[in-house]
This record gives sequence, structure tokens and C-alpha cells, in this order.
Amino acid sequence: MHTFIRMVKSGFSSFVRNGWLSVASITVMVLTLLTLSIFFILNIVLNTGIKAIQDKIDISVYFKEDVKQTMIINIQNELSHMSEVKAIKYISKEEALVRFKEQNKDNPKLLESISELDNTLPASLEIKVYDPNKLDQITTALERDKYKDAVLKISYKENKQIIEKLFKATDLTRQIGIIITIAFTLVSLIIIFNTVRIAIFARMEEIEIMKLVGATPGFIKGPFLIEGLLYGVIATIISMIVLSSVLYFAAPAIANYIGDMGDSIANFLRDNIVQVLAIQLGVGITIGVFSSWLAIRKHLRFS
Amino acid sequence: MIYFEKVSKIYKQAEGGTSEALKNVTLHLKPGEFVIAVGESGAGKSTLIKLINREIKPDKGKIFVGGLDYEALKKRDIPYLRRKIGVVFQDYKLLPKKTVFENVGYALEVAGVKTKEIKERVPKILELVGLTPKTNCFPRELSGGERQRVAIARALVHQPRILIADEPTGNLDPKTSWGIVEILRRINEMGTTIIMTSHDSHIVNKLKKRVIRLSDGKIVKDDQMGRYDS
Repeated sequence: MHTFIRMVKSGFSSFVRNGWLSVASITVMVLTLLTLSIFFILNIVLNTGIKAIQDKIDISVYFKEDVKQTMIINIQNELSHMSEVKAIKYISKEEALVRFKEQNKDNPKLLESISELDNTLPASLEIKVYDPNKLDQITTALERDKYKDAVLKISYKENKQIIEKLFKATDLTRQIGIIITIAFTLVSLIIIFNTVRIAIFARMEEIEIMKLVGATPGFIKGPFLIEGLLYGVIATIISMIVLSSVLYFAAPAIANYIGDMGDSIANFLRDNIVQVLAIQLGVGITIGVFSSWLAIRKHLRFS
Repeated sequence: MIYFEKVSKIYKQAEGGTSEALKNVTLHLKPGEFVIAVGESGAGKSTLIKLINREIKPDKGKIFVGGLDYEALKKRDIPYLRRKIGVVFQDYKLLPKKTVFENVGYALEVAGVKTKEIKERVPKILELVGLTPKTNCFPRELSGGERQRVAIARALVHQPRILIADEPTGNLDPKTSWGIVEILRRINEMGTTIIMTSHDSHIVNKLKKRVIRLSDGKIVKDDQMGRYDS
């Protein structure tokens, strides 16, 4: 136990006495952690965005003029039993008119063309699904003979191409994000490994002396690993301070630019601060200790 | 205490050739002896020292130190061997980022000695080499003689039965050199076996100890009460 305490003490003191090398290593690590966090948050934002878009993807089924409300309610009941369906809402002709008026309140000419007495808007069902990829199954169900005569049109069919393009685009964006994140992690690992290696190279004579006065490889390694650990912890603290202050000051600007999403990033960080901290700390400590271990390993062999 | 039996050491050279630093050397040191190895540069003195500290391995022959057969010694046992031997290097080999106290204490730390005991033993040994006022200095703040005394203190602090010193006075002026040798002599009188290499005829002649003269990798003279030029 006192050997361990000794290693911790020695790690701390050489951390302090090697001032500039510590600063260099920590700087590189802070940059790595910030990059990782930014990619992590970007990924979250992207996913939130995709989810928001997916939530907005729904099918509207418009019914012919002569279809009775009871018939539509029946269809609604039947469809709501399908496992793909998340929510289903009946929009009567009257409701459709209210919405139409709301949407076009700045366009009096368009409003003149329609009135309560001459309501040509169809009644419809708005269907939301759990998985937008399963929209096809809903439309197939609606195209069966039983409903065919009642249905005026299904909006999804018209939007199908756009929706599919959107899917492809979001998938691509996500894949690129993952690739860039992995590439960046690797680059950072190499940079930090080299920083630590230079640090150890500068102290090779010290390591040689330690071996000459009877230190075991483990005893020499300990303080270096503790130093690596300290790099990780301090880099995490700095990176968290930078990240939170940037988000705190930038959140209003981001919110202006991309609407709700900016707020949701700030909220996300606030709600998941422990998780983000844990990820950064985990990555920081792993990189610090691992690269120290990697860099010192070969200097500890006895010939 | 130290026994070399027909030991040879061959170094490979950069241009592809080889040089034989020790040729078939047989040597026996009794416990409590003070032996000085003399000879020209390249005669094999430092090789002798490095073989005892197991920094290098012989190409032929056997080495026994304190009853330990070096051939049977595993790599992972080397640190434990070195804790039994004190070594003083010509270039001191002090840890630059550690104070005098820490440098000396380090030799005890590696052996797992308790902090309380280190705090008792280090000041005593620093007093022996006359460095008490410099306890908290870093090596860069010390003179050559002081650094060498730190190195001696570190080599002695774990009370080894053997002390090896490679040119301990090589970088020092005559007066300081004699101070160092005086310390070594006192340690020897307390029972530690000492093997030291030297270039300094004045010191060798004044010490009147056993002198081994190496030349071209061979022991050419071995006199009890020897002289440098004898």
C-alpha cells in the first residue's frame, strides 16, 4: 500500500516538475476531448433532427365527399389495431376548414374561395407511425377493396419520393459523422501517444538511472501512468469548462439560427451533464494511461 | 565475495568488427577488501564494473557475486540484485528532478522501505558524506564533488555489502577527490567490500590498497598494497 501511495506522490510531483510537457500533453488532450464532444453532440442533434422530421412524416388519408363519418370512424378503429400505427386522428370537414383558415390567414383571396357553406375540403385521417419505413404497409392496407371506394387520395404516395430521399440523406449524414469521429479519435490517439513518447524520451536517462538503482519495471511505470491519468482528469475538467461556457453563451445564437434545436443542445448538455462528463473522463483517462503505458513499455526491458 | 572465472566480453562495433574488452579474466575479491582497478582508457575497467552490476552479460566465463551465479539470474531478478550492490557512477547519474534527499531515498523507496524508516536513514547517511546542509537542493545546484557524495550516499543507504565505484574521482579536483576517497575508506573500514576504478596515480599510491592493473582486456598485475606505477 505504501508503495502505491509513493507512486501516486511521485506521479504528482513529476507532473508538476515537468511543467511544459504536462501543459503540451494536456492541450492536445483538451482539443481531442472537445472534438469528440462536439461530434458526439452533433450526432445527438442530427438524431434529434431526424427524429423530429420522422415525427412529422405521417399519412393523410382523404375521403370522398359522400363517405359518412361513421364509416371513417370504423376505418380509424380498424387501423388503430395495426401494430405499426402510433396515433390516428380524425379530421372532420369542419376541422379541416378551421386549419385551412389558420394556415392561410394572410391570404384573403384564398380564403374567399371557401366558406362554411361551400366547404369543399375533404374529411381525413392523419396517421402517425412508429417507423417511417413501414408507411408502405399502411398504404397497402388502405388500398384494399374494402376501403378503395371511400378513399379520395393518400398523401404519402405523393410525398413518397421526397421522403425516401430524406431517408437516404439522413443515413448518409450519420455514416459520415461516425467515420469522421472514428478518424478523429485515431488521429488524437497518435498525437497524444507521440507527445507522451517525447516526454518519456526526454526522461529516458532518468528511467535508466531508476533501473540502475534497483527499481522494478512496475515501480518505474507507476508514476508515469499516474501522470497519464492526471493528464486525462485535468483535460476533462478544462474541456468541460470550455464546452459548457461555449454552449451557455452560444445557445441563444444557435437557437436563433436553427430554432428549437439550439435550445435542445443546451438542454441536452444540462440534462446529461453526468453522462457527458463520464464519457470525457473515460476517454481522457483511457487515452492518457494507455498512451503512457504504450510509450514507456519498451524502455523498461532489462537486457 | 566477487568471483570472475575466465570471463570474456566482446563488443560488436559499428563498422562491423568486434573488440574484446575483457579476455579470459579470472579474479577473486574477498569480503571486506578494497580493490582498485587501474589501466589505460579502454583497458576494460568499466566493463568489469558493468559486469558486476549486471548492466551487461559476459560472452564467456562465469561470474558469482555474494554467492549468486549470474548465469542463473533471471531478468526479473536484476532489480533485486542491484539493491544488494551499491554503485557509484563517474557521471553521478542523479535524478535531475529529485532533491538530494529524494535521490538518496529513492534507492530505499524502490526496495519498499517504509517512509518513516527512509526519513530516519537518509539524514544519517547524508551526515556521513557531509551533505546535511544540501538536503533539499536539486542536483543542478550542487558542485561536482557534492554530486558525487550524493551518489555515494545513494549507493550506501541500503547498506550493501559491495560498493562498486567507476572513476568516482574522474571529474573532480585533487582536494575534492581525496575527500571522496576518504569517505570510501571509512565505509570499507565498516566492512563493505569496495571495488573502484581509477586513473589517479596520486590517490592510488596514497591509499595503499590492492591494485589490479588491466591492459588490453587482461589482468597484467595484481598487488596487495599496490602502487599505480608499480
